[in-house]
Amino acid sequence: MSAIFKQELKLNLKSLLIWALTVGGLGFICVMMYKSMEGDVMEMADSFSNMGAFSEAFGMSTLSIATLAGFFATEVGTVHGLGSAMFAAFLASCMLSKEEDGHTGEFLYSLPVSRWKVVTSKCLAVIVNLILFTLICGIFYVMGFVCLGEDVLWEELIRFLLSMLFMNVEVASLALLVSAVSQRNRMGVGLGIALVLYVSDITGRVVPDMKDYLFVEPFSFTNASEIFAGIDAPEYSIPIAAAVTIAALAAAYAVYLKRDLAS
Amino acid sequence: MENVISIKNLTKTYGKKRGVSDISFDVMKGEIFGFIGPNGAGKSTTIRSMLGFLRFNSGSINILGMDSVKEHEKILKEVGYMPSEALFYPAMKVSEVIKYAAEVRGQDCRAEAEMLCERLKLDTGKKIKELSLGNRKKVSIVCAMQHKPKLFIFDEPTSGLDPLMQNIFFELIKEYVDKGTTCMLSTHVLSEVSRYCDRAAVMREGHLIKLAKVEELLETSVKNVKLTANGEHKEYVYKGDINELISELSKKKIENLCIEEPSLEDLFMHFYDGKEGA
Repeated sequence: MSAIFKQELKLNLKSLLIWALTVGGLGFICVMMYKSMEGDVMEMADSFSNMGAFSEAFGMSTLSIATLAGFFATEVGTVHGLGSAMFAAFLASCMLSKEEDGHTGEFLYSLPVSRWKVVTSKCLAVIVNLILFTLICGIFYVMGFVCLGEDVLWEELIRFLLSMLFMNVEVASLALLVSAVSQRNRMGVGLGIALVLYVSDITGRVVPDMKDYLFVEPFSFTNASEIFAGIDAPEYSIPIAAAVTIAALAAAYAVYLKRDLAS
Repeated sequence: MENVISIKNLTKTYGKKRGVSDISFDVMKGEIFGFIGPNGAGKSTTIRSMLGFLRFNSGSINILGMDSVKEHEKILKEVGYMPSEALFYPAMKVSEVIKYAAEVRGQDCRAEAEMLCERLKLDTGKKIKELSLGNRKKVSIVCAMQHKPKLFIFDEPTSGLDPLMQNIFFELIKEYVDKGTTCMLSTHVLSEVSRYCDRAAVMREGHLIKLAKVEELLETSVKNVKLTANGEHKEYVYKGDINELISELSKKKIENLCIEEPSLEDLFMHFYDGKEGA
């Protein structure tokens, strides 16, 4: 089992580095831009916070974009939220199906290891990849604060990254279910899930009637502006995310353990 | 003799499509068992059901005294499988694939793997994506043999291997079989069956239509007749009482006549013409 886990980490190392360096690097650049934009942002902050639904959607009515925390939450919150969700979907949507898509399944499943152990090893590899992704990005963001000579907002930053990690796990569990059902790689479907969830969060914040239902989708508890402003996640959003994750994983196991494998 | 594989009334369907229907046969310890049939006959479905890739509808498969569903993982520890498509992770080196297979098995197979790579002249430093089909087949052979299994299951093993390597491959099989390994091989190449196999099963359209010793398959009442009579040349397969054939031939003015045992290829065609059932 550990051999399969190690193998998956090795196979996904390049993707992890590309995604983490890209998202983390973009976040770092965003933080570094704060100083050069500080004066202009001050002038625009009032306008940004009074743009109605647009301000609501991007959290600019919650926290002033003129502050580093507000600027970080608005800019990096969007980049990290979308980037990390897409990485989670990209990784998990091919995790099981790639063996049949690449015709390596007959080699792997002729080795003395049960499908249950294969799925578990691959799930653990996804989780470890997501943790490493979060850590690498986190290092970039801290470097940004340090390079600016500002105090690192440790508490808010850690809460923000942990929320994002939990959201990534939920997105990955849904993408893993897609991978378990399909005999071909469905990366498009996985990325589609991440984008639909992100857009539904933005829509939910813009459309008044949908606000009451925001808690059902994973981006609801990762809103960076609310986290940096010290606002709690919507009620039930975390238990619902945990339930969705467990249900998706259980379904992925149930389907994959029973179905015929393509040659 | 002890049965290494025992398949009883195996049926597997793919929705409404036929897979295999009511297949039963045994493979005995220490034998080389041929599994013959054209594409779509059900050979791979049977093998893939044996290895747990497919969930069969009914029947039972017992391998090395263990139930193929309940003791699937234990069975695979003792089996060396070579799929018809030898595909591995393209970015990995040959040595890494061989090591990975041994690691998942939890066995140190270095000495055996080294011997096999040397015999098969396999360059372990190359990446999988750089290999030809023949060389990928060699990797597959090493992965199937390095842990010295009790049972080999080979699906179209020699396709892509050059004749020299085919000889080395069968030499290796014989050496392992001499040490107690059993071998089941599915193939289209009937000369391999007649040269190396003890018994063979013939599949047609999801049914097992013949199971016998290879010598018995060759010693049927079917004869190849090559005849030149009344200025006309004919070649045909005759099945029936040989005395009736002679009586029939005696009525003709024969210029040349040859009656011979059919080759396995002729028999194969005979079975697939639908002239013989199980």
